[in-house]
Amino acid sequence: MTTSLTSAAPPPVETKRAATTPPKRPRSRTSRYAIWFVGPFVVLFVGMYVAPILFAIYKSMFRIQRDALGLGGTQEIFDPLFNYAYALGDSTFIESIGRVLLFGVVQVPVMLGLALGIALLIDSASARAKGFFRLSSFAPYAVPTVVSALMWSFLYSPTNNPFNQLLGLFGLDINFLSQDFALWAVANVVTWGWTGYNMIIIYAALQGVPGEVLEAAKLDGASPWRTAWSIKIPLVRPAILLTTIFSIIGSAQLYNEPFVLKQSTGAIDASYTPIMAAQASLQSANYPYAAAQSVLLAVGVAVLSVLFFRLTSRRSS
Amino acid sequence: MTTSTAPVRAEKTAGNRQRRKRTDAKGSQGSTGGLRGDSIETTATSRIAVTAVLALTAVYFLFPLWWLFVAATKDAGYTFAGSPLWFSNFDLFGNIGDLFAYKDGIFAVWMANSALYSIVGAGLGTLIAVSTGYALAKYEFRGKGVLFGVVLGAVLIPKVLFTLPLFLMFSATGIVNTYLAVLLPSIVSPFGVYLGRIFAASSVPDEVIEAARLDGASEGRIFFGVSLKMMAPALVTIFLFQFVEIWNNFLLPSQVLISENLRPVTVGLVSWNALVQAGQIERHMVIIGAFVAVVPLIVAFLSLQRFWRSGLAAGAIK
Amino acid sequence: MKSSIVKAVGVASILTLAAGGLTACSSDTTSGGSAGGDGKVKEIEVWTWAAGYDESAKIFNDTHDDIKIKYTQIEPGNKGGYDKIRNSITAGNAPCIAQVGFETLPSFVAEGNVVDVTESAGKDKDLYAPAGWAGVNVGGKTYGAPQDQGPMVLFYNKTVFEANGVAVPTTWAEYQAAGEKLKAAGIKLTGTYEDYDYSGFAWQAGAPWYEIKDGAWSITPDSPANLEVADYWQGLIDADVIGAGIWSDDWAAGLGDGSIATIVGAAWFAGILKDSAAASSGDWAVAELPQWKAGDARTGNVGGSLSAVLKGCDDPEAAWTVANWISTDPASVDELVKGGGVYPASVAGLESELLATGDDYFGGQVISDVFKTASGQVNEDWAWGPGVSTLVGTLGTGMKQAYAKEGGATVATALTGAREATVSELKQQGIAVNE
Repeated sequence: MTTSLTSAAPPPVETKRAATTPPKRPRSRTSRYAIWFVGPFVVLFVGMYVAPILFAIYKSMFRIQRDALGLGGTQEIFDPLFNYAYALGDSTFIESIGRVLLFGVVQVPVMLGLALGIALLIDSASARAKGFFRLSSFAPYAVPTVVSALMWSFLYSPTNNPFNQLLGLFGLDINFLSQDFALWAVANVVTWGWTGYNMIIIYAALQGVPGEVLEAAKLDGASPWRTAWSIKIPLVRPAILLTTIFSIIGSAQLYNEPFVLKQSTGAIDASYTPIMAAQASLQSANYPYAAAQSVLLAVGVAVLSVLFFRLTSRRSS
Repeated sequence: MTTSTAPVRAEKTAGNRQRRKRTDAKGSQGSTGGLRGDSIETTATSRIAVTAVLALTAVYFLFPLWWLFVAATKDAGYTFAGSPLWFSNFDLFGNIGDLFAYKDGIFAVWMANSALYSIVGAGLGTLIAVSTGYALAKYEFRGKGVLFGVVLGAVLIPKVLFTLPLFLMFSATGIVNTYLAVLLPSIVSPFGVYLGRIFAASSVPDEVIEAARLDGASEGRIFFGVSLKMMAPALVTIFLFQFVEIWNNFLLPSQVLISENLRPVTVGLVSWNALVQAGQIERHMVIIGAFVAVVPLIVAFLSLQRFWRSGLAAGAIK
Repeated sequence: MKSSIVKAVGVASILTLAAGGLTACSSDTTSGGSAGGDGKVKEIEVWTWAAGYDESAKIFNDTHDDIKIKYTQIEPGNKGGYDKIRNSITAGNAPCIAQVGFETLPSFVAEGNVVDVTESAGKDKDLYAPAGWAGVNVGGKTYGAPQDQGPMVLFYNKTVFEANGVAVPTTWAEYQAAGEKLKAAGIKLTGTYEDYDYSGFAWQAGAPWYEIKDGAWSITPDSPANLEVADYWQGLIDADVIGAGIWSDDWAAGLGDGSIATIVGAAWFAGILKDSAAASSGDWAVAELPQWKAGDARTGNVGGSLSAVLKGCDDPEAAWTVANWISTDPASVDELVKGGGVYPASVAGLESELLATGDDYFGGQVISDVFKTASGQVNEDWAWGPGVSTLVGTLGTGMKQAYAKEGGATVATALTGAREATVSELKQQGIAVNE
């Protein structure tokens, strides 16, 4: 991901290669060997990515049919669009998508803003104990998401949580898992876990900003703020874009955190996020519908990512 | 392999000429004048302000871990007694003893499973990803463009979405509820291939490969003997990304595994949390379990961070 | 399209076959009911969440040579246990026997996940209490052996009641009055009842959630009769006499320190109470459930489960033998009573010595006497239908909001939400539903 900087400037080695080596000779030689290098990946990829997608599409085209009282077992009937039509009218599913969109629109900028801010601060000349701060924000990345959700579920617990002991001093008492706060409680767990990860990527990109450029800026009398805003940020833009894409995908597959927190609150129901909704269909043994929900979601994420790519690349060119 | 050293040196000097690498505070700073110049000009106020803000963020990131540590040290039945952020009824070692004694040490089995899935999955996955990325960067073959396009596309699809169809497919083939059911999907990492391609393109000069060929080395020998070594930091980076992803994995193993003995620690802990609600296990077991599950990863990160940052930095710069 | 799918699946299966070597050595479960050892001994796999079954299985294995039990404890049904059972059935390696709640059995029947054992079971019908036997039969077919039942009673903290001059309520009106009185002393009347725990109130009131009319299901959790029950509980919520959420740590703490004075629930709460509130041993007592009308003697049932014979079991007859033995063998039942505090559903179980002795936790009271009375008073007009997990899951979420007084949620809106979700799901599956 860090490597995304390359997408800004084409890898020098490759261009050099194209210019210097005659294309024909190595082609005949290497193409014979390439199969051994890409073979294992291609086979596994077909088995673990392509086949499941096709299988999900296939499965989604059936409809569950039970007898009138539903006590005589299950039949699956071919009815290609039934589940898709149902999904579009399924208010819990649609709500779950809306919820995750809202989540993404708020949480992703907050998290990435925080990550960028910390990266810039650690990168700044004024920072002390850089190693410590880098590690402290990165430490949560080492905590599995379900474990961090478990941890936060204790921290959110209405009676035992240390925040409210603190807030109590100001006469406040917030139920973090109430209807109004639950989504942001989830957002906080995600932000806590992933800010450091994104920070490290942006920070690594900042490390690549050439020293001469910064010296030149200083000689021109640019303030640290101005340097950060006008020089550093534009230069690490590819890293920021990449972390954004990954965060969008991360939001789309939001599952672990709300799944764990659901144990502690009624504000999170079984269909809180689209993935949870698909899992809930599974729980009522409706595999075709779960498959249709997964397919819809995959298409949705792909469209969003492509749109985001288009938007950002147009602006940059 | 004497021929290979010269181009490497050439590459390095070329790199240095192009851009001077800025080292950060922990590194051997002072090698370049630029950084020194920076630090001279910082004022005490700005140093205090920046450090204060960073300290605030550090509190945010560390205090839940501190809470977990403190809670894990409290004796059974006193988990929520006393201050949540300071020690009381200290019995960390007794707790850890309880944890590993519970149900004939099922927790140790879960930890071992997590380690197995993560190390084997990330190990094989890294090798496969790097060899594919290497081929994409260095070889010409039919379908290369298509393959890379598909890999990029796959990076954009959330992996969780494959859980259900994989489960049904694994059920049909009898692979469900085996180590393979978790390992096989974990090994495939399109993102690893993407990284592998970029790392291979930037850290293995074509001249080295050509020189080795002239020496009569086979392609396999070049890859394992020369290229992989040059890509070492990249390997660590890809391995760690994938390791964490697999260690984190929850939905896939919880779906495709049935027996308790195959579970990774994430699935095990969540099942314990459900049992707490049903009154079948004490809450403090979940807290100690969470603490013990986190420690090895944090230790691994701290001890490997030198490698892994150099990989990241290399990737980011090149 | 079709051919490419077939091809893709074919590739995948070749892949998985190629990897088969690894599978063979890493697989550690034998599929349910497969013959083990010398080919003569039958192994029957059993999954339950209630404790005590491991001991029962040991006794079985010590006393039987032709059949052996392989026992595994799983998570409680709606905490992941049912997912696991369903997954294993889909995967084709399900156990022969799994614990399934009475309320969930119709869903399992609807999904075709259980095996009809009417033929093997018919002869043993008289070994079970009627309330238990009713639970294992759906549409006239038997699917397993009744394990335990959950007649509803009132658990109350006698010490707290006496200290505050509260008499044991016999009607719901008196129960509410007791709540008001305790509230003055800073004590909550009870915790919350969110999903199945709430269903028992409707059951007692004769307000069914599922009915079959004209060959179609009527889903009626918000029928007029149900809304009366809902009004009552809404009244308790509004009066602020309800404390911490059921199953939470705070709830357990409240039961232990006397700040929550009662549990209205099934007999099996006795075991939960002892585990959660060991500190208040000797304080608690059991009484019959308060009535809607003074002088009535009706109660509901919450929980109760069976050892269901699952799809894919290759020897349902042997499975029935095992299931029947677990529920009716005196030594086995004693283990279940000791381990999980279950209230047995078999006649032999009800006669267990363990149940006839006074319980120190309850100040020496013979609590099973109350349970036995209650068991005979369980309303018989209640039936569960398909889609229960959606109904109860949605209800649970709505009820949590109602108790938290959030977003205008009430008990009534929670019930309506549950109905809507269930109707929608059943329709999607082609099941006939009356609007």
